[in-house]
Amino acid sequence: MTFFPSTSVFLQILVNGILYGSMYGIAAIGLSLIFGSMQIIFIAQGTVMILAAYFTFWLFQLTGLDPIACLLLCVPVFLGLGWILYRGLFLRVAAAGKNPSLLLAFGLMVLLESLMSILWTPNQRAINTTYTALGFDLGPLKISFTRLMAFAVSLAATGMVFLFMRRTLWGKAVRAASEDMEAAALLGISPRRVGSLAFAIGLALAGVAGVAVALTYPFDPYSGFIFSLKALIAVAFGGLGSVVGAFLGGVLLGVIEGMGSYIISGGWADAISYGAFLLVLMFRPEGLFGRPAT
Amino acid sequence: MAKHLLEVIDLDVFYGDAPAVREVSFHVDENRVVALVGSNGAGKSTLLKTISGLVRPKKGEILFLGEPFGHLRPEEVTELGLSHVPEGRRLFARLSVRENLELGAFPARGRPRLKESMDRAFTLFPVLRKRIHQPAGSLSGGEQQMLTIARALMAKPVLLMLDEPSLGLAPVVVRLMFEIIETLHREGVSILLVEQNVHQTLRMADFAYVLQTGRITLRGEGADLLENSDFQRAYLGMIG
Repeated sequence: MTFFPSTSVFLQILVNGILYGSMYGIAAIGLSLIFGSMQIIFIAQGTVMILAAYFTFWLFQLTGLDPIACLLLCVPVFLGLGWILYRGLFLRVAAAGKNPSLLLAFGLMVLLESLMSILWTPNQRAINTTYTALGFDLGPLKISFTRLMAFAVSLAATGMVFLFMRRTLWGKAVRAASEDMEAAALLGISPRRVGSLAFAIGLALAGVAGVAVALTYPFDPYSGFIFSLKALIAVAFGGLGSVVGAFLGGVLLGVIEGMGSYIISGGWADAISYGAFLLVLMFRPEGLFGRPAT
Repeated sequence: MAKHLLEVIDLDVFYGDAPAVREVSFHVDENRVVALVGSNGAGKSTLLKTISGLVRPKKGEILFLGEPFGHLRPEEVTELGLSHVPEGRRLFARLSVRENLELGAFPARGRPRLKESMDRAFTLFPVLRKRIHQPAGSLSGGEQQMLTIARALMAKPVLLMLDEPSLGLAPVVVRLMFEIIETLHREGVSILLVEQNVHQTLRMADFAYVLQTGRITLRGEGADLLENSDFQRAYLGMIG
């Protein structure tokens, strides 16, 4: 343990990194799904997360609804939002090519950021539940209850998306269409329905990630963009088109950031993740966990 | 008058300003193997893509079972019973053989009979059963071509359009491919076959059209065309 004063410090940073990284992971799965069907990086993913975080925050402030219970509302709301955004905006624009879709996503991000800061001020918000400060000891480790909950929620969301993609015909259709949309259409799979589905699930995952953020960290209207970038890095780690890969990529990114900040300095966390991103793109562009693309 | 299964009337297709198919009319009747032959760039693949809705015609009509459907999207065409196996296999390489077949039965007409169709696919192509859990991308070229045909059959098509099924396959696999097409024909599937492998294709086809720079220049029963001196001059000398 050259870099760490003791094994327990190392373990503590590792666990914190894993718990935090799981949020990157679910945002990354959404990003990867949307990329599969639209071939664009949905740059507004992180901002939609923050929108979900506000949704959770205000429901908690105004009605006292528990953030975890809020998930049950958040998932259908963001599924629906994704469906509407795809049908109303992205489907029309997609016909004009990828660049207009990318611009639209960028515009959506700026619009959401501005709307949120006008409506709810740019001040940082955080949810204070009765259990926010709760933690417990696991041997030498201190585990925060809310972070553990956020991790459990992320893990459950990942598992559900994984099963959907593997076991259901529509899930298989989404995977097929991300490989070859035209061939899928020739088999009777409607590109617009697959696209709507992938986009809706992508936004629902942003919704879940938003609840996880609201549960654990303070946020403001502009916190989203950095999450989009981190999710993109997680996708690059995990390899495009893999649900589990994207999740593990997020977890790995969380660990790298945690370790890097401890060893070097907290201010370097972002520089370390982008550095790792570049290294992966240079040496293993197909991702760390997958086989080389065939 | 008995209706044709597929009828194409006076079709014009352009890529931008460049004509790809000009004034093409032809038909396919039930339980027939009809071939479209011609050199590279003659417009054969474009014609199939237009029929399956991937490309929009500039002019002309396409009737399937007597109904016009030139305006339908590819997934709707497949739903009606016309399956297009495109050139170059186009399998979902990361999905397993089984998943590729399951997606073949995606249309409502194929879905209820998934199990039965899967058994039939394995009877036609026993080698696929051994590969069932492998990713499609790990199959050999011949196996991949079998899988694309098996996948298209899962939709229970009335008419199967095959684009260059023998392309890039070893001679022994090419022979197998033609045997399979014969088997399908005997089982009552109507087939529209695009091929550059002219000899074998014409020997098997009930009827054939020769496409040259976007136009149909010759037509006739397969065996007759092989005897036709114009056709021999134009093609067999070149390919022979």
